[in-house]
Amino acid sequence: MTKKSQSLLGMSFFGPALVLLCIFLFLPMILTLVFSFTDFFALNPNLIHFTGLSNYFEVFQDEDFVMAFLNTVKFVLIIVPCQCLGALGLAMLINKVTYCKKYFKVAFFIPVVMSLAVVSNLWIQIYSPEGIMNAILGFFGIEAQPFINSASQALPSIAFMSVWQGMGYQMIIFLGALQGINPALYEAADLDHASAWRKFIDITLPEIKPICIFVLITVTIGAFRMLVQPMVMTGGGPSHSTYTVVYDIYETGTVNWEIGMASTLAIVFAFFVMILTVIQNVVTRDKDEFNDKPRHNKRRMKSIGRMFVKDTEAEYVDQSREA
Amino acid sequence: MKHKFKSAIAALLAGVMLGGCTSMVVHPGDRPGFDEGEEYLSIWVHSIEDTDEGQAYRESVDAFNKEYDGKYFADIEFVPRNDSGGGYADKINASVMSGDLPDVITVDGPNISAYAANGIIQPLSPLSDEQRDVYLPSIIEQGTVDGKLYALGAMESSVGLYVNKDILEKAGVEIPDKAHPWTWSEFLEILAKVKPITDELGGYPIDMTFPAGEATIYFYAPFFWSNGGDFVSEDGLTVDGVFNSEENAETVEFFKTLVADGYMSPVAIQDLFESGRAAFKFDGAWAVNNITSNYPDINLGVAPYVVSDNWDGGRYTPTGSWAFAASSGTDNIDGATALVQYMSGVDSSIRLMEKTNSMPSTWAAYETNDLFTSDPNYKALYDQLSTYGHPRSKTPVYPQVSTSVQQVLENSVLSGHDTKETMDKAVNRINKKLKRYTGQ
Repeated sequence: MTKKSQSLLGMSFFGPALVLLCIFLFLPMILTLVFSFTDFFALNPNLIHFTGLSNYFEVFQDEDFVMAFLNTVKFVLIIVPCQCLGALGLAMLINKVTYCKKYFKVAFFIPVVMSLAVVSNLWIQIYSPEGIMNAILGFFGIEAQPFINSASQALPSIAFMSVWQGMGYQMIIFLGALQGINPALYEAADLDHASAWRKFIDITLPEIKPICIFVLITVTIGAFRMLVQPMVMTGGGPSHSTYTVVYDIYETGTVNWEIGMASTLAIVFAFFVMILTVIQNVVTRDKDEFNDKPRHNKRRMKSIGRMFVKDTEAEYVDQSREA
Repeated sequence: MKHKFKSAIAALLAGVMLGGCTSMVVHPGDRPGFDEGEEYLSIWVHSIEDTDEGQAYRESVDAFNKEYDGKYFADIEFVPRNDSGGGYADKINASVMSGDLPDVITVDGPNISAYAANGIIQPLSPLSDEQRDVYLPSIIEQGTVDGKLYALGAMESSVGLYVNKDILEKAGVEIPDKAHPWTWSEFLEILAKVKPITDELGGYPIDMTFPAGEATIYFYAPFFWSNGGDFVSEDGLTVDGVFNSEENAETVEFFKTLVADGYMSPVAIQDLFESGRAAFKFDGAWAVNNITSNYPDINLGVAPYVVSDNWDGGRYTPTGSWAFAASSGTDNIDGATALVQYMSGVDSSIRLMEKTNSMPSTWAAYETNDLFTSDPNYKALYDQLSTYGHPRSKTPVYPQVSTSVQQVLENSVLSGHDTKETMDKAVNRINKKLKRYTGQ
């Protein structure tokens, strides 16, 4: 086969996917950027005007957006540490247990497979004034709490539920990484009479560090995208206490039909998350390795990233079969 | 050669996939029943075909095609609408942009003003008085913007003040007739009598809350209206001085009393009324069916909606539902009007009522069904709707108004914020959205 016909054949297979990607992904992304400089109104597209940066100035004066932004940051601050540490803890426990290992894996992974809307509805019942959570508190003599019905408790309540729901996924990723650690390292440490804590700090953590960074970044981005839980459970309330940035984008665009403003919100939000991810990446990068051989480090992270994707896929298939 | 063939197949596949994205023009013979000489009318409805509601629309369109055989052919498309209101609305918005709107669309009552102000729907051909008199006054009022009739509904809706007759009897309270509803002060006295009984049952006198979404304005706007207040001016373009009026502040204060005196729970308790621990509950007409079939122990009654002490006897109770309208995309306004009239007419509204238990939009439909004459609860709801039905605020920024009412009630009544301050904030927020229409 000649090179030309080979590339033509390749293009013809790749073409439809490229066209669809352009129509449904790249074009909307470009349009969002363009619309963010306009006052595009979905009900009357003829009245579109170029408004320059005025949307961007307005965004930061908008009380709802500022509130939504602060709420989202609160969600991130609660969810990221709890979910990452929780997932790592669970993974280490499961790695240790010898009985019912599969049962625990499946049990912790089931909430991830369940639809978020279903889980949210379930937790509305759990958190209701006469629900199971208050029954448990009552058993310990603690008076009933309003949970999602109170402006001060709604956000932590939803964050807790999200941590519970999402933890299983990161747990599987950590488990894959833990199982990939060479047992000889622990054996050597045992010979030196190293304590469990030392083994964790000096062997486990450094070995799974790239995965930790990956999990940290994905959980952070996931927490920033919080939408379904507050939408289903509280409608953003009480008193806007669980109103998030993505919820604001949704409301602005689809309820108030202001596509221009919604696009601006989306662009501002995307930029913020991007900057934060870069900062997170730089801060968590191993300084010595970075100084010595930055290229090698990058390559290593990539290859481990690839490995873990394979691992989790295999795990997931296993889980589904077991379930 | 073989590879060239493969390339051609792949290119063809790509072409077919893209070809599916183009729009179609319908010619006679393309659809069963669409014959030469007939004018083609397309209609979109916000429902799934397999549901009872969808079936009712399908049957109505078939009946229309039979009645207008040789003149019009209506082609119905079902565009499912998800719970948060997307799906159908997204398709309408996309079609506004692409100019592919059908001849007739369905519009939710409160959105009629926004659709009219933005030229998505156009006024129907003039209707004679006789043709208008078929409908309940609330339907005509809901569909009228700036004196022009844009939309006609096949369904109406109402909200009832449901009572637990056993609890009221114990408290020695009698339900008044529709012309003499309880005033706020009378209602507070009744609640004081009922409270010891519901306290004993572990509940509250009223099962109510201010949920996010449309329910709050739909259920509780009557309190504002009966006190002489409103949310927007007549033309739908001014809120300052209307939304944050003294009358509305009084209404919010009344709700605050309900929480402060322990007559309603500050947090939502599920099925409080249904479990027999509350004497009153505000809910849609669908609750009658739900309670009588699922909670047979509840001795259910419907009381007239409570009014302010300053009520002038005017219309004040909740109404509104989906309606049919001619889109701005139609060149055949007479045909579209005929289809709108048929889809919302007597036969169609009877069909919908029988299949979905919805409240019909025409007088004749009520007369054919003994549910609304024999069942005291349904009769009370119908009487309330036909005598006192008041459409929701007519303004192009309705979504913002609806959200703001919910926020004001939630923030000031449940979270204890200052009433005037919350209302002023809401006014600022709505004003920002109004700029588009007022040009200021």
